[in-house]
Amino acid sequence: MMDAFLFVGLPYIALVVCVVGCIWRARQNRFSMSARSSQFLEDRQLLFGSTPWHIGIGVVLLGHIIAGLLPRVWSSILTVSGALFVIETVGVACSILALVGLGVLIFRRITSARVQAVTTGMDLVVVGLLFLQVLVGLLSAINYRYGSAWSTGTVVPYFWGLVTLNPDMTYVTGFPVLFKLHLVGAWLLILLVPFTRLMHVLVVPVHYLWRAPQLVIWSNARRRREAIEATIQAESRRQFIKGAAGLAGAGGLLAIGVSQKVVGYFRGPAADLEAESALLAKKLHRLQQTAEERALELERQRNDMILVARYADLQDAKGKYFIDYQMAPGLAFKGKDGLPLLISAKCTHLGCTVASDLDAQGRVLCPCHVSYFDVVTGKPNEGAPAKKPLPHLAWALVDATGKVVISKRPGSPPEGSVPAETLPQLSLYITKPPARIA
Amino acid sequence: MKLSRTLEQTEAYLGERFPVDKLNYASMVQKKEVPVHRLSWAYYLGGLALFFFAVQVFTGLMLLFYYQPTVSDAHASVEYITEHVPGGALVRNMHAWASSLMIAAVMVHLLTTFAMKAFARPRELTWVSGVLLFGITLGLGFTGYLLPWHQVAVNATKIGLESVEQIGAYLPGAMAEWPRAVKETIQGEATVGQATLSRFFALHVIILPLAMVGVLGLHLVSVQLHGMSRGVDEEPRRLEKFFPTFFIKDLSVWGVAFMALFVIALCVPFESFYAFPLFEPFDPNGSTPDGIKPEWYFYFVYYPLEILPYWVILLGSGVAGMVLLAAPWVLKNTTRKTLQLLAILAGIYLLVMTICGEQIYHLFKS
Repeated sequence: MMDAFLFVGLPYIALVVCVVGCIWRARQNRFSMSARSSQFLEDRQLLFGSTPWHIGIGVVLLGHIIAGLLPRVWSSILTVSGALFVIETVGVACSILALVGLGVLIFRRITSARVQAVTTGMDLVVVGLLFLQVLVGLLSAINYRYGSAWSTGTVVPYFWGLVTLNPDMTYVTGFPVLFKLHLVGAWLLILLVPFTRLMHVLVVPVHYLWRAPQLVIWSNARRRREAIEATIQAESRRQFIKGAAGLAGAGGLLAIGVSQKVVGYFRGPAADLEAESALLAKKLHRLQQTAEERALELERQRNDMILVARYADLQDAKGKYFIDYQMAPGLAFKGKDGLPLLISAKCTHLGCTVASDLDAQGRVLCPCHVSYFDVVTGKPNEGAPAKKPLPHLAWALVDATGKVVISKRPGSPPEGSVPAETLPQLSLYITKPPARIA
Repeated sequence: MKLSRTLEQTEAYLGERFPVDKLNYASMVQKKEVPVHRLSWAYYLGGLALFFFAVQVFTGLMLLFYYQPTVSDAHASVEYITEHVPGGALVRNMHAWASSLMIAAVMVHLLTTFAMKAFARPRELTWVSGVLLFGITLGLGFTGYLLPWHQVAVNATKIGLESVEQIGAYLPGAMAEWPRAVKETIQGEATVGQATLSRFFALHVIILPLAMVGVLGLHLVSVQLHGMSRGVDEEPRRLEKFFPTFFIKDLSVWGVAFMALFVIALCVPFESFYAFPLFEPFDPNGSTPDGIKPEWYFYFVYYPLEILPYWVILLGSGVAGMVLLAAPWVLKNTTRKTLQLLAILAGIYLLVMTICGEQIYHLFKS
């Protein structure tokens, strides 16, 4: 019987009284619809009471309204565990915020003589009831771990049953006492709306968000002057705070972004087996290349003769690259006389490596600054950036037994002779130039 | 008696150049003022170069964590930074872009201070240290270019070093061998190889930055001691406080510079201006690929070098270098008007050679 009154009778009474009462009050006494301001009586405690209270209760109410009006949206959001976590955290934090704010407001109403002067009994009832309501709500949220999605299967159907004139209190009669208290508190508050300052909920001054700040003062000449000064000061402070906040924000973002990059950079890449083995293979290959080059260098320091190619591999028009005794590139051609023609491939201009293809005039090109070198004389073309000729290199042809058959030093005729038909069996070597006289 | 007079003169000379009595908070920070006139924008350039240097130090230290200065690993490690390390491409790109921006800032700073006759007494030593800093900056650019060890880097370095050797052809007698000895000392071996890489690494990472910090300290202290030079003949419109007014403006310029650098480094890889195969690792046995050239900030000597006989370049750059270094004494009595004209001409020359150098080269060569 008691339940039937509390969860069916009381709600209908409350809703009817609320709707009728609000319409009546809006028609009879429009200017009483807002909460009467006491800011000019006391504004310091008000700031620390009213602001947290309204922010906190706004967010919490928003959660209740979404859950009540759009239960499916609400429960689908809550299936994401991250969202559930955020909503629960924000909900509890805002309840605490609201509770603290309300505490300050109650303290202020009771202790400030000036505020006392304008406080009605109803104000105290409302404020006390609100405090209890939020406290009970917070306690039940913390005490019972049903989670935010729980309401969509219990309170919400009960609420919609009431609205559709099809009340079903079985949803709520089995609730723990705390929950029942919270429900009853809610209906009582709704019942009280037309008779108290609570009615200001229906006329939220949203446009305050965009309008210029206003200062409520007693008006006389001195006050006005002071107000102007205060406004100027407040404005410059606002400017400074805005600037500082901008700087701090931008600097903070910059710091976060930079440190995120820096930390990631120093931690290094996450291990990726494939990428790492590819990298290792590449490094091994390069090391082998380097080792080969070192071997070439050592060979040139130790040996008097070094194999360049088999004679049979030489061509007329395309040179074969090799590394000469200076560790610089050289080119080996088959000359017009059938004998090898060995020439340095290091451009005498700035040391680029010349290309290996002969053009129609028997010249090779240095691609860096376009010098053409005649391979027979070694001379660059007229007007080329290179002035000095490419030097020829000493060579020797060696037969299968390792005996030098014919050899040539630049500037002197070949020593020895060889029949043309045995040439293809021979191998081409470069020979060590005489040590430079220091 | 003679000696003591020389000493006195030296003391008086140095005392005027380094007024140590001003070495205090009040005159270096509280009283310093910046004149406001039509060339005031030039006062930001030195700070900007300093900022880019700081970026270089920071990103350079970061790169040191992964870079390996050996011929077999250098290219692979740079590739590793670019492709695998989180944010590595950004860091490397910032280092590359900031180097260019720093050199650009230093060049414009040099031209504007020249035009403003900021080297006039008592700022001679500030100017000389500035010219030294310019040289060190170019040296950092040249040595840093080799470190990734790709085709362009190695071949361009080879060419650069060969041109040192070429000076020998113009020197008499035994001196003809000196440039080659110098080249081989820098190079460390017969061709550009591991020894060169190690030496350039040491130069780029330790020696030149240390030299830079030393000279920079001198430069900055003398700037703070003397305050900003007036820079123009007419009276400045007004003076503004260095601290905090100008300093905050300086900071905002740096902020904008950092944002610009960050966005560029994020969006435009520095390498995108070169043909692809040039960034293959250097192959000592291959032929030199086409299109080898130095970084843009050497175009102003590179293209003339390609077109004109070598001795003209040698003579020209020698004279220009001497005049730059000795400007406070050589150009002591030159008016600001003439100096501005000279600076504008030099600026036009630099711009034309940097932007259209290649076209001019082809014009002369075909």
